[in-house]
Amino acid sequence: MSPFAWRPRPMSEKNLVELVIGVTLLLFLAVFPVFGVGYWVSFVLTQTFLIGIAAASLVFLTAYGGMVSLAQTALYGISAFALGNMVTKGAVKGLHLGLDPWLAVVLAIAITTAIGLVFGAVASRSAGIYFLMITLTYAVIAFTFFGQVTQVSGFSGIAGIADRTPALVGDPVTQPNRLYYIALVTALVVYFAIRHVVRTPFGISLQGVRDDPVRMGSLGYNVALHRTLAFTFAAFIASLAGVLYGWWNGVIAPDNVGLGATVDLLIVAVIGGLGRVEGAWLGAFAFVVINNYVRDVSVPVLGGSFNTVIGLIFLAIVIVSPSGLMGLWDRLWDAAGYREGSGPRAAAAAGTAGPQA
Amino acid sequence: MGRLRGRRWRILLPFAAMAIVAAAIAASSLAAHSASVIRLAIMSDCKGAFGGAYELDIGGAEAALAQYAHGKPVSSKKPSAGMTGITIGGHPVKIVGYGCGNDTVPVAISETKRLMEQLKADIMIGPLSGDEAVTIAHYAQKHPTKTFIIGTAGSQDPTLQIAPKNMFRYHGDGAQWNAGTGILAYKKLGWRKAAIIMDDYSFGWTSAAGLIADFCGAGGKIVKRVFPPLNTTDYAPYVQQLPAPSKVDGYFWVVGGTGTGPSLKAYESAYGKVDPKKFVGNLFFFFQSGFADVAPRLIGAYYGGFGNAPGLKTAGAKQYEATMKKWFGPAGFNVTDSFVYNYFNAAHALVIGLTKSGGALGASLNASLPRSIKAGYQVSNGGQVKLDSNRQAIADQYPQQIVKGPDGKPAAKIVGYVPGVDQSFGGFFKKTSPPPGRSQPPCVKHKFPWAGHIKAVQNGVITKKTIG
Repeated sequence: MSPFAWRPRPMSEKNLVELVIGVTLLLFLAVFPVFGVGYWVSFVLTQTFLIGIAAASLVFLTAYGGMVSLAQTALYGISAFALGNMVTKGAVKGLHLGLDPWLAVVLAIAITTAIGLVFGAVASRSAGIYFLMITLTYAVIAFTFFGQVTQVSGFSGIAGIADRTPALVGDPVTQPNRLYYIALVTALVVYFAIRHVVRTPFGISLQGVRDDPVRMGSLGYNVALHRTLAFTFAAFIASLAGVLYGWWNGVIAPDNVGLGATVDLLIVAVIGGLGRVEGAWLGAFAFVVINNYVRDVSVPVLGGSFNTVIGLIFLAIVIVSPSGLMGLWDRLWDAAGYREGSGPRAAAAAGTAGPQA
Repeated sequence: MGRLRGRRWRILLPFAAMAIVAAAIAASSLAAHSASVIRLAIMSDCKGAFGGAYELDIGGAEAALAQYAHGKPVSSKKPSAGMTGITIGGHPVKIVGYGCGNDTVPVAISETKRLMEQLKADIMIGPLSGDEAVTIAHYAQKHPTKTFIIGTAGSQDPTLQIAPKNMFRYHGDGAQWNAGTGILAYKKLGWRKAAIIMDDYSFGWTSAAGLIADFCGAGGKIVKRVFPPLNTTDYAPYVQQLPAPSKVDGYFWVVGGTGTGPSLKAYESAYGKVDPKKFVGNLFFFFQSGFADVAPRLIGAYYGGFGNAPGLKTAGAKQYEATMKKWFGPAGFNVTDSFVYNYFNAAHALVIGLTKSGGALGASLNASLPRSIKAGYQVSNGGQVKLDSNRQAIADQYPQQIVKGPDGKPAAKIVGYVPGVDQSFGGFFKKTSPPPGRSQPPCVKHKFPWAGHIKAVQNGVITKKTIG
């Protein structure tokens, strides 16, 4: 019998609580549009889902591949730019090829994934600060390329993407619920896809590469290939976010892939927690809500508004809980367990502490 | 499922509290708004190259609301602190929020959504810059029940190529602001061959389009176009692409914001001291960010205006400046600033429109917004800025020159009066023609309506002497 054959794992108390919270949240999100809170549906939550997807691609690379990538924003932007160039028509900037919306989606995803493959292949032999610098270079290249090559964008960006969506998506302005559910389902698919991939032989060997690439190499695993494929998979995930962003925002511009946006995505992932995939959406939610509701807030003494607040939160998280909000949850749980004499040690003794995959 | 052991359930409390807060915020979005309250948003840039104009812009709009709609500023020093008591035709008007852009498309659209969807504004006065206006024009197309009056933005596309029916602009675009300046370079400075360096985005292209069309229309030739990207810090590679001073009669310099100074320094590194007679620019030659390091280099240089005419000695100009000083003068605002002027006219038009529509919004308001409005620096057409069929201003323009003021510091001097410039330059720019870009418009000879009608302005008085 294969050592990787599926078998039911014992569910810890914590897993059970998380499952209940997750299912409850999902049910809540499924019926949320019925309450008709338009702005929260069309802006806050839809944006949370799609930014969360982009952040999940970063969390996947970081948590399971040991690669902190600054290229994920660029990749999701490439997808949106590709979609915009191929799907738009008429008096907008870019190539405005006017292709069928579904064909444009497929091509946008394929192009982004292919670029991710190339990016990953180039960066795969680097690690640590060098990997970070190479992926930062990708981000700068994307920003500069789309800013300066006016045939495909220019700094004004490409507008009108939401005017030509597939019939399933409809008009995101007048029919926001459709895009909301599409983004929600896509987020779920991405979440389960990542959870599945990290449990496959590839995913487990990728975690081995993360933990000790030299040993994995000496055991005969192709470290660079694993990293390249992981990067490609993450690019595929980011491309989904890019397509959703194009539909949702209707416009994509070089500043969407600029250094500010690149750092923003990293902040989202850090706030949520780089160790667990769920953190991507938790971080995205916190980021979007703070972005919207502290715009007019001025921090005493420091002044400023959104950037100051998000900066302070980022600082607090890094100091208090380097593993983000999800890490905070884990620590709170463990702390509560110690008080009751049923923490990880007790759980481990009982054989119920499982891997956090 | 077993129950949670001991007191572990308590750790769920913070999460429950967060959920309740989120639900409360969401529910607040549902709160009914009084149907009779008109909800207004004002958007400008509080960050980026034009962030310094944030309070000026809001102050311009609020001065009009104070003067014509009973509004009372909460603070005369900080307009963004808010305004109370605004009523138009018996309908209360509430400023629901101030948008804070940074001259980029993503923030512009995000802020617009926040103002129009989260805060449920019916009307927006704004934005401030070119790319932002392009983006918001596309947004306006998708939201026909909302009304958008551009605050100050110089890109051509929003009201010529895109032109949503619910978007209005009571000031010129970047090309209009430069009307007449190219002719001055040809006739007054004797240029025949010139090169142009322009910011590589919609405002830079539109601003350059006005100079190119004007100069080439008079018979000049543009021998080289160079376009540095926005936010360039090292302009040396772009200056190197320009022909040497000995190869051209002069340069049109359309590098704006914080880039004007560094680009001129890069020129000086390559070719020596700037000769003001070989430089003609756009509004950024005498602009907030360049008072210290740009204008002193360019004493004597001509540049395109900004639709405003500081020091113009007409009754309309004096009345406008007195109104502005009354509300925000004590705070030290430069009331002749064009940002202030344009936002003032936008808000003034809104008051007229809402009065005429009886407070009705949407299509009624769009139909009621004035197609001509009395404006301080407008002289032709009886002092009325008229809108064309795309709801874009046909307005007078004023080429200017940097001179040494009485205090020895650089000062702006109006040198010309170009009456009634329309966005299409008399049909030269068309809805169907490509918008201004790196290679648009082409350099062709063309007689524009104002050619031969540009009057000299001396000491703020428009004379009968024709200068171009």
